[in-house]
Amino acid sequence: MIALTSPYLWYTTRATGLVTMVLFTLVVSLGTLVANRVGGTTVGRFELNELHRTIASVAIVFLAIHIITTVADSFVATGPLAVVVPFVSPYKRLPVALGAIALDLMVAVWVSSLLKARVANASWRFIHWFSWLAYAIAIVHALLTGTDARHGVGLVIVLACLATVAGAAAWRFVARPTRAAGRTALSPLGVEPEPRGVQRDRAPTRPAPGPAVESSARDATPFPRRPQPRRHR
Amino acid sequence: MGMRRRVGGFVLLVNPILCDGFGHCAELAPDLVHVDEWGYPVIVTEPVPLANLAALESARYAVRGCPRQALRIERVSDPH
Ligand code: SF4
Repeated sequence: MIALTSPYLWYTTRATGLVTMVLFTLVVSLGTLVANRVGGTTVGRFELNELHRTIASVAIVFLAIHIITTVADSFVATGPLAVVVPFVSPYKRLPVALGAIALDLMVAVWVSSLLKARVANASWRFIHWFSWLAYAIAIVHALLTGTDARHGVGLVIVLACLATVAGAAAWRFVARPTRAAGRTALSPLGVEPEPRGVQRDRAPTRPAPGPAVESSARDATPFPRRPQPRRHR
Repeated sequence: MGMRRRVGGFVLLVNPILCDGFGHCAELAPDLVHVDEWGYPVIVTEPVPLANLAALESARYAVRGCPRQALRIERVSDPH
C-alpha cells in the first residue's frame, strides 16, 4: 500500500477534480450538439454522439480516481460513506455533500445510459435531464471545495467551463429542435442510395411504453410527425 | 457460396412513434436507410440476407447509435 500520508494522493485528488470538470464540460457540450442535431455534413451526427459517449466514459474514470484518492487520503477526513451520502463528511460538510449529490445524479444518468436498450426511452431522456443539475451542483462543489478552483488559473478554468455549459444550456433551450435539418445524401460516396422500398404503414415495432414510463416536459409537446412518405412525387 | 450456415435474412425496422429524425441511422447504415426530405428514415423493406455481414453490422451500429432506441433488427426466415 502506498503511503497514505504522502501528498501525492492529495495532489491527484485536486488534479483529477479539475480534469473531471473539463471533461464533463466537453461531455455536456457534445451532448448539446447531438440534441440540437449539429453535424451531418463535415462531421457525422453519429460521430458527435460517439464522442459524447466515449468522453463520458473517460470522465467517469477520472471522477472515480478523484473520489478514490479523496477517500484514501488521510489529509482530509471524509469517509467512504460521504461519497454517496450527503452531509456525513466531517470535512467541509456542505461542499462534500454537493459532490455526493452530483455523483448520485451522474450515476443515475450513467446507469440509465448503460441500460439504454432496456430502459424506456422516455425514462432515459427524463433521467438525462439530471445531468444539467449534476453539472451545476458539481461546479458549486468545485468552487466551495476546490483548493485550486478559487484563485488564479484554476478559477479561470472553472469560469470558462461554467460559461461553456451555460452557453450550451441557453442554446439547448432556445434551439428546441423540432425536426431534423441536414443533408439528405448520406452515402460516404456522395451517391444518394436509392431505396428499394418505402416503409409502409406498419404497427409500431415495439409495444407502446407502459404506464410506468416517466415523460419529460418535452414529451408533452411531441415533435411534428412526418407526413406520409410518398415514393414518387 | 460454400457453407450455408447463415440462412434467412433480416429487416431493420423503425418505430415511427419513437423516431425523432436524428438521422444517425442513415449515417451508420447508408445502404439500408435513406432519409426523406424531413429527415426521417426510409428503410429498405426487403429482407437482407444474414450472410451479408457488412449490412448486418451496419444495421447493428444503427440500432446502437439511434438516440431514441427507435430501431430494431428482426429476423425473417425467408431471405428471398
Ligand atoms: S437514428 Fe433513430 S431517431 Fe434518428 S432517424 Fe434513425 S430511427 Fe429515427
